[in-house]
Amino acid sequence: MQGPLIDTLARQGVTRRTFLKYCATLASMMALPPSAGRAMAEAMAAARRPSVIWLPFQECTGCTESITRSHSPTLEGMIFDMISLDYQVTIMAAAGHQAEEALRNAMLENDGKYLLVVDGSIPMGDPGYGTHGGHSFVDHLQQAAKGAAAIIAVGTCASYGGIPKANPNPTGAVSVSDIIKDKPIVNIPGCPPIPVVMTGVLAHYLTFGSLPELDAKGRPKAFFGETIHDRCYRRPFYDQGKFAKTFDDEGARRGWCLFELGCKGPVTYNACATVKWNGGTSWPVESGHGCLGCSEPDFWDAGGFYKALSVPADPLKLAAAAAVVGAGAGVAVSFANRAKKGAAKKAHQPITLADLEK
Amino acid sequence: MSLDAIPIHVITPPAGEPGLTGNAPPLLRELAEQVKRLLETGESSAIDLSALPLTPTDLDWLHEKLGAGEIAVTLQASGESTLNETACPGIWWVTHRNEQGAVTSQFIEVAFVPELVKAHPQDVAIGLENLELMISDL
Repeated sequence: MQGPLIDTLARQGVTRRTFLKYCATLASMMALPPSAGRAMAEAMAAARRPSVIWLPFQECTGCTESITRSHSPTLEGMIFDMISLDYQVTIMAAAGHQAEEALRNAMLENDGKYLLVVDGSIPMGDPGYGTHGGHSFVDHLQQAAKGAAAIIAVGTCASYGGIPKANPNPTGAVSVSDIIKDKPIVNIPGCPPIPVVMTGVLAHYLTFGSLPELDAKGRPKAFFGETIHDRCYRRPFYDQGKFAKTFDDEGARRGWCLFELGCKGPVTYNACATVKWNGGTSWPVESGHGCLGCSEPDFWDAGGFYKALSVPADPLKLAAAAAVVGAGAGVAVSFANRAKKGAAKKAHQPITLADLEK
Repeated sequence: MSLDAIPIHVITPPAGEPGLTGNAPPLLRELAEQVKRLLETGESSAIDLSALPLTPTDLDWLHEKLGAGEIAVTLQASGESTLNETACPGIWWVTHRNEQGAVTSQFIEVAFVPELVKAHPQDVAIGLENLELMISDL
């Protein structure tokens, strides 16, 4: 399907006002000024759909599930109308040689212009750990990255290595940004990531022709600017020193802070507390379980899900540090820190909270 | 010196009432500025209520102060949206809801007519085509 997006939407019964309303809400979620909603709608309505190539590596398909099964198909489902998804092995009809040909064609026809979406980490240990059509994952990534305008790393695995990279990292898993150094990369971590973050990044790209502002870990600031703890509705209990001590005590029943039960909210940057899950129904802390910190690097090895963080949270200091570091420089710093982290891991030193927070 | 020497009076807010944060009143001044701008230059503007630290009580206070006007617009577009004129003409309270009825975003819009109410020229052109087709079939 070609032509402006608004025509494509109209054919599917999505009216202009539905689209305007959607853009207004999206702009609000991305903390853009209210006028940006209309600018977004105008730009996106007229936009030609960019070609998107989606490569899955060491992943569990949870990220794809999160995005394709978001509750309201007319909303997040729209992203698939905004883009021309030319290659996505999980949901495409073609298979085998046909699928690989679709990939080659999309790469040739849209050279330098397509968006590359990656979910899953890349095994560096043995090329045989992951292959597509006889080629290793790392070869695939490098080849597809060459002609990409930008790369979107979806999920914690693609962003930071994720669960495949957890100790002892049997496959030598690394993130996209560990391999590709010469392309703009947006990390959308989370296990799985929040669907609207993905939509927001795409909408920003379509509207402004650029990627949104990123934090030191390559994440869009609009969604990862504050910690779970900062925006948690249980925060007043933390400030009052009211903590649940077990999952079935009086405090837990009263909905007190889950800090002592190992909640990683104070060191986790994500939008769960505001955007919530399942169409705004609830989110982990609201259902009575602490945050696992799934959108932070090496969350699996952060010392146990039920072990309380040892240092008190100082979100103001952390936020200030994140704000000072510029996007470009920030990415470089995060590379350096990750390298340091890698060295610590090789020396069999446990990853500390301080490492996590760098 | 014991603490008793310091005259401290603890005021507890009434039960079930989270209380006002004081963040709502300044919005009225901002709205006044925006209405002035609308009158002078015709420029419309909006305040994103979900982006501000307002409690439900604050929102109720604001809603009550602004009151209800003569026009209430309901839009059915993947969930219900209401665009209601307040007692101050030119100020509209806009609430977007999803299909489940949950509020997805909320704005106060300052405009002669909210943007969403106006028909887009392209849509009007499509309507005209349909109308002409209808006439030719008569």
